[in-house]
Amino acid sequence: MNETNPAVTEADLHAYADGQLPEAARARVEAYLAENPDEAAMVAGWRTQNAGIKNLFAGYEKSRDTDLQLVTPAEPASPWKMRSALAAAAVALFALGAVSDRFIPPLFERPPLQLAQSETLPKQAETAFLVYASEVRHPVEVFANEEAHLATWLGKRLAIPDLKVPDLKSLGFHLVGGRLLPVDNRPGAMFMYEDQGGERLTVIVGRNKENRTTSFRFASAKDVETFYWIDGELGYAVTGEISRDMLRKVAEECYRQFPS
Amino acid sequence: MKTPPPDTFEGQILALLPSLRRYSRSLTRSDIEGEDLLQDCVEKVLARRGQWRGINLRGWVLTTMTNLYRNTRRANPRDRLVELDAAEEMADPEGQADPLERLRLEQALDSLSEEYRAVLMLVVIEGYSYNEVATMLDIPIGTVMSRLSRARQRMSEHMKADNVITLRRPK
Repeated sequence: MNETNPAVTEADLHAYADGQLPEAARARVEAYLAENPDEAAMVAGWRTQNAGIKNLFAGYEKSRDTDLQLVTPAEPASPWKMRSALAAAAVALFALGAVSDRFIPPLFERPPLQLAQSETLPKQAETAFLVYASEVRHPVEVFANEEAHLATWLGKRLAIPDLKVPDLKSLGFHLVGGRLLPVDNRPGAMFMYEDQGGERLTVIVGRNKENRTTSFRFASAKDVETFYWIDGELGYAVTGEISRDMLRKVAEECYRQFPS
Repeated sequence: MKTPPPDTFEGQILALLPSLRRYSRSLTRSDIEGEDLLQDCVEKVLARRGQWRGINLRGWVLTTMTNLYRNTRRANPRDRLVELDAAEEMADPEGQADPLERLRLEQALDSLSEEYRAVLMLVVIEGYSYNEVATMLDIPIGTVMSRLSRARQRMSEHMKADNVITLRRPK
């Protein structure tokens, strides 16, 4: 590679960066690097890369509650499959409710919701509403004319397979569009709706692994009202400057439409 | 469901799962893809346990996972287009590097082909020697070295091309 140290090859440099070089060869490479700043910078770059890559994936070396199911495949192997089983059960329950003459069953009779740990959700929802709902030209990133794309995109960012954008037309609200926004420091989704009078409301979805069990909760700040709930790892919040009664209907409708 | 005893095949796989999870995530572009690959791999090794020669279970499973990853990727070339959207929540709250840096690093990794990525991850994350990687992937050591070299070069180019502009106040 150069005259003074012809024996140092690129392979040696990789081995040096990866800590795979035998002790005896190390001094030779170090001497070479001392004389060749370009190569030294390259090797330093590789080492930074290595450290970054290790750091990036270190957190994944963990066991999970579902591990046992993975190695005992008589049980449903995949948590996602379990999820769809639960979803089916929820649909069945809803169907029962519908048959028994109540089109939207009261929330408290639904399968038990999970308890909230994140008290930050309503505040974040409120802020998002205040910031975005007042935007005239750029309230959302993706408008309702690209609803399918919006659902796929945000579903992917939130790791929700088959995310559906809730349809609130029955309550007089049509979709304006949606955007990606941080919720609990992670990718979250916001959907915005508008009624005939131009009154807007927002629906926020965020994922948080620490989320636990809540029923519907209610938060209000000045004129802005928020209904929020947590279902599994997903937190939802519906925010608007509309009557609490209407907002609750919206929340119930969303709860019904989001996959459980 | 009963926990399988640690000396059974299932018990040994169960003990390996955390490190297998890290490797599967390091090959893929999102948490979901990582878990999918892990599940497929476990399913496969359980079904093929008869082919294991009784030594170095971890190496055998990692090889199986790598092959599975390359095959499924080839079967779904459209997945290659996912890139930007698939950067997921990070499962590691401890190692708080600059989140933007992490994202850039992830994107650089996602720009690598499966072959390059597998070699890089086996060396850097799993800590295998070049010779071991050659054996695991059944390729000549020269190929291991050239893939490693190109992977690193491509990563550097990607990181450079997408460089952060530092704002400076005029003096």
